[in-house]
Amino acid sequence: MMGRIKILVVDDELIVRESLIGWLRKSGYEVQGAEGGRQALEMLKTKEYDLIFLDIKMPDIGGLEVLDRVKADYPYSMAVMITAYASVETAVEAMKRGANDYLMKPFEPEQLTLLVEKLLQQKKLIDENILLREHVATRMRYENLVGSSECMQQLFSLIEEVAKVDSPVLLRGETGTGKELVAKAIHAKSERRYGPFIPINCGAFTESLLESELFGHETGAFTGATRAKKGRLEMAEGGTLFLDEIGEIPLKMQVDLLRVLEEKKFHRVGGAKDIAVDFRLVCATHRNLPREIEQGTFRKDFYFRLNVIEIEVPPLRRRLDDIPALAHHFLDRFRRETNKPVMGIQQKALDLLQSYDWPGNVRELENALERAVVLSKGRHLSRDDFAFIFRSGTTDLSFPNSLKEMEKKHIERILAMCDGNISKAAGLLEVNRTTLHNKIKKYRLKPSDTAS
Amino acid sequence: MTKVKPSTLRLGIVEMGRLGEIALRVVAANLQAVLGIEVDFLGPHEVPENAYQAHRQQFDAGLILKHLSGCAFPKYPRILALTNLDLCIPILTYVFGEAEMGGRAAVVSGFRLRHNEDGTAVSIDRYYERLAKVALHEVAHTLSLYHCEESLCLMHFSSKVGQLDKLHILFCERCAFMLQTSLRNLAEEFASRHRKKPVKSDKQKAREARPGPSLRS
Ligand SMILES: [Zn+2]
Ligand SMILES: [Zn+2]
Repeated sequence: MMGRIKILVVDDELIVRESLIGWLRKSGYEVQGAEGGRQALEMLKTKEYDLIFLDIKMPDIGGLEVLDRVKADYPYSMAVMITAYASVETAVEAMKRGANDYLMKPFEPEQLTLLVEKLLQQKKLIDENILLREHVATRMRYENLVGSSECMQQLFSLIEEVAKVDSPVLLRGETGTGKELVAKAIHAKSERRYGPFIPINCGAFTESLLESELFGHETGAFTGATRAKKGRLEMAEGGTLFLDEIGEIPLKMQVDLLRVLEEKKFHRVGGAKDIAVDFRLVCATHRNLPREIEQGTFRKDFYFRLNVIEIEVPPLRRRLDDIPALAHHFLDRFRRETNKPVMGIQQKALDLLQSYDWPGNVRELENALERAVVLSKGRHLSRDDFAFIFRSGTTDLSFPNSLKEMEKKHIERILAMCDGNISKAAGLLEVNRTTLHNKIKKYRLKPSDTAS
Repeated sequence: MTKVKPSTLRLGIVEMGRLGEIALRVVAANLQAVLGIEVDFLGPHEVPENAYQAHRQQFDAGLILKHLSGCAFPKYPRILALTNLDLCIPILTYVFGEAEMGGRAAVVSGFRLRHNEDGTAVSIDRYYERLAKVALHEVAHTLSLYHCEESLCLMHFSSKVGQLDKLHILFCERCAFMLQTSLRNLAEEFASRHRKKPVKSDKQKAREARPGPSLRS
């Protein structure tokens, strides 16, 4: 339940699906539908749902089988089985297998509301416990923008321009591109630079925690609110408020924020007194908000408020020229932090870093440098110190769809690692040279091009 | 609780089945007073045939909405059907009313509002009050309002008449703000769509500005 509450409705009957989705959307939840077990399992791979409604009888993969997979792979998602009158026994079986509850079609309105409320409350508690544990483990880190590539130079001059005015800014860019650094730079160059810079990641809180984080609360606003607390809106007075992952803000809170932006005042949770605020708003997202507006999961009026100026932060693969500078920047930092005598990076290692497409962007490069520095035995980082970035498939967000595509990508990378040396590559791939030659021809790969 | 400022949105009310003129007038007056919108009566309207669900002996509210929003009432961006039919949707055993989220049509039924949960009849005033509350709730859905957690706000979801009775005939501050925003956006949209049309005569303007619901049926 980090950010918005997300619900998946799995039922092969279109009218049931539409009816339930429609009802849940009226409560402002982000709801999607799947017409069968197979589609549901596909959707679960790309997105985490807080609550899943599962029809027991479906033609392709039945609800019980999907339930087993959910319990095994996504243990934090709540599952509710939907059944027709005829299959009460199956529903009981589902409860034994770990379903959180079940409903018989058609539902009593009260049953449905109470069930959804109860489960989301349980989910909230689970998530808050996870958050508490993770909070202790995370390490804070600060860094600056680095880059001499053309697109970064354009970005820098854009920041200069934007800093002169006071309008809201929306930063768009993939995860790990350094959107917070851009926001900080805008703040640092603006008239508000002597005021505070207050960042908050909207995707890192449950809905109710996010509300009190943003708006603050008065004593006794809810159980546990033993003393009044200032929210980030108040802290940002005179400065810049940075809302990261704005796409995760629940619809209802979008209304509250829209109101703050229009009226320049708000009140704390559980409070009645108006508090006037004056801050500059910078937001960031990796989501495609115009598409979310079409789907009704993001408010159009709120979007237009945020998006007075839009800045795109380029992914690392579009500024490969910056990689040597960035790599050295991170090397300096980790050398100091780890006290290891790593003095530089070999050219071949830099070439290798520039041949990779960095789906996790600057953050992935930063992590790669940290790992290389920690594990390195030499005074200079070599290509071998970075070989792991090609091996870990899990960080690859632009995951190829077909087996063919996968094979092509893999061969390309291995060839790059081996400087286009066919024998070496064939050895690593555990195929003979002829086979590799044939594959290169088949996929129209040019070993000389992929070589550094 | 905050009051919504008046707006130029026009809503047309149709009667589906027999509900009675007083019920219609009460609902209209409440829509005008609380939402600040203009309301006209558009007369009786037939029940779409496909809406009847023989196996449940009820009427599918979603199908009624689909039918209504396809009807040509060019002057009315929002249509509300008032009915005495027993309404349901595919996943729920009954509904008091239903609306297209951010869409054009809403339907409200008095069928389940005349009695309490224990079967006792309620006074006619209480019945009208319930009808008005459900109508305000559903029309607000067509203005993109979601269900609200404030237990006394009109947008709080009520599954039973007892809960409905507890509601104030008002929107909470957040919902009132949301309504204001939606109504303003709608008015702007409407104005830009009709900007190129010839200017209305003063007579026409006077007629359209006439206060209060006018019975046209
Ligand atoms: Zn509702
Ligand atoms: Zn409300």
